[in-house]
Amino acid sequence: MATVTLSNVVKRFGAFEVVHGANIDIKHGEFVVFVGPSGCGKSTLLRMIAGLEDISGGEIAIGGKLVNDVEPADRGIAMVFQSYALYPHMSVEQNLSFGLRMTGNPKADTDRRVKRAAEILRISELMDRRPRKLSGGQRQRVAIGRAIVREPQVFLFDEPLSNLDAELRVQMRVEISRLHKELGATMIYVTHDQTEAMTLADRIVVLRAGHIEQIGRPLDLYDDPDNLFVAGFVGSPKMNFIKAQIVGQDARGVVVELAGQEKTRITQPLAGAAPEVGSKVIVGVRPEHFGSAGEGDTDLVVAIDVVEHLGGTSFLYARTAHGEDVVIQRDAAKVPTTSEVTVSIRKSYLFDEKGLRLR
Amino acid sequence: MRNRNATAYRFLAPYLLIFSVFWVWPIISSFMISFQATRTVPWRFAPGFNWGRLIGDPAFFNAVKNTLLILVIQVPVMIALAMVMAVLLNSPLLKARGLYRFAFFAPVVVGEVAYSAVFRLMFSLDFGIVNKLLNSIGLPKIDWFSNVTPAMALIMIAVTWRWAGYNAIILLAGMQSIPEDVYEAATLDRVSKLKQFFHITLPLLKPVIVFCLVLSIIGTMQLFTEPFLITERGGPGGGTETLGLLLYRQGFRSLNFGYASAVAYTMAALAIAITLVQLWLTREKQ
Ligand SMILES: Nc1ncnc2c1ncn2[C@@H]1O[C@H](COP(=O)(O)OP(=O)(O)OP(=O)(O)O)[C@@H](O)[C@H]1O
Ligand SMILES: [Mg+2]
Repeated sequence: MATVTLSNVVKRFGAFEVVHGANIDIKHGEFVVFVGPSGCGKSTLLRMIAGLEDISGGEIAIGGKLVNDVEPADRGIAMVFQSYALYPHMSVEQNLSFGLRMTGNPKADTDRRVKRAAEILRISELMDRRPRKLSGGQRQRVAIGRAIVREPQVFLFDEPLSNLDAELRVQMRVEISRLHKELGATMIYVTHDQTEAMTLADRIVVLRAGHIEQIGRPLDLYDDPDNLFVAGFVGSPKMNFIKAQIVGQDARGVVVELAGQEKTRITQPLAGAAPEVGSKVIVGVRPEHFGSAGEGDTDLVVAIDVVEHLGGTSFLYARTAHGEDVVIQRDAAKVPTTSEVTVSIRKSYLFDEKGLRLR
Repeated sequence: MRNRNATAYRFLAPYLLIFSVFWVWPIISSFMISFQATRTVPWRFAPGFNWGRLIGDPAFFNAVKNTLLILVIQVPVMIALAMVMAVLLNSPLLKARGLYRFAFFAPVVVGEVAYSAVFRLMFSLDFGIVNKLLNSIGLPKIDWFSNVTPAMALIMIAVTWRWAGYNAIILLAGMQSIPEDVYEAATLDRVSKLKQFFHITLPLLKPVIVFCLVLSIIGTMQLFTEPFLITERGGPGGGTETLGLLLYRQGFRSLNFGYASAVAYTMAALAIAITLVQLWLTREKQ
């Protein structure tokens, strides 16, 4: 069983701590994506699982076995690098078989594994070529093939698609999904692209500056973010954040007034303790949660700057009376022609001043 | 377009002029001189004079033999040594890397005369440190300067000392251009460090190794300083006389420019031939 468990994992480079105690529990066969902005420690975390970086503190277990002091080669993992890291002087076939040949694996078995990997990735006709004569997408396939050939329990991917163009990225994303179903192995995938994370993951680990902000299934993160960072990171275009203030409480929940707009009040049910009247909060509204006037809790007048037509839907880039930028999603048929429009807020999230979700 | 080319050539003209006068012309001129009898005044055209002498000259064949012997033994040993040095320099375990890099490069910048003098001292029969060391481990003293075999060995040791570090630095630069993640991938592929060296580092470094080999071959073909200064003009008794030394002896001591030019052309031809064979042997096989 290829579970991967990180307990209080810490990484320091000299005195500089870059991962501050990560706890992650990955189930067998799960597809987990580490996502976060550049420099947040995703690669470092992945490389610690692979054994390419020492662990400064905490424990990593693969398949229930502590691997802190196990050589990378003996951890039962295979890794696909962002730069592909193919052996430039070897043909595709040699690239795939190199590890097995060097470790004295029986030739018949090596050939079988290489052939199977080539079939799975549809690179059989490229076997004699050198990496430099391959396209980016083909190189990526070879890199993945090299991982498959090892028949690992856990696959690690470090931004494998970031060197590909947009179209190829979508295509390879689907391929990797298919591969996961076909192989049934545990996969850990690093990316800074939230779309990739949302489409591939069984579960997403959102990281920021070495801290885990939230772990959850893609739609859970989308519908129920723990904090301002996750709310802003997941979803495209981003969730809108509008400054507001608690002004009271009624039977349905706390009453919030948007900053500088006395008439726009939202009532938000809260399970936990309500913040004091007068405390500052942030209201988060996803672009698709703006409705037509009268559809929601409150109406809001915004001035439209730009309209982006994407075909079926359109995005209105607008400003509130208080000068805050908002993005509003509309059906193409319902795009207003006026320079001002009244919208309603159908659903919103409340965050306290520190960015934690109030719920 | 034509106008722009003309401007470019006008800018290049000073260089091209100097290049022609001091580079191209001597090459052509010495080729022509090699066909002239230069011991008579005035010189006269006699194609067989120098080249004919060359084919039958035992001193020439002695010099060819010595030069090739040094080449065949010293160059591979030096490149292998340079490779070991480069690997050590590249190791993340190494402390004070800058110091080593400097130390390896220092022999190249030390003056030739100073370096030769130090080698003569170190290898001197009675008070040289090398013989003292040999003695202290129970080996007999070696008279480095009076016997041909030790004298040849001394030349090879000296040349290796002077150029190994230089080649190591070139190889090191080549090694550092191999991306780290290729090794990481190999590590995950369970390939041992030693196998990584032979199956990844060496093949990827091949162009650089070939470059070092070509440089060393050309350098050794022209070998002059060491046999001139350390073993005193190719001594003992011409036992370490190289082609470079023979050329010098003929050209500048006997003032026989025709014969010296013929030797020079032979040196160049040999260097080119050996380099071509070597490039052919190490060519990229598709
Ligand atoms: N070898 C190292 N020595 C010192 N600091 C390092 C080293 N490797 C990474 N870091 C630091 O650790 C932090 C996390 O780096 P990491 O490469 O894990 O980020 P990342 O999330 O993968 O970013 P990206 O999306 O840009 O790849 C960064 O601040 C980086 O500067
Ligand atoms: Mg990274």
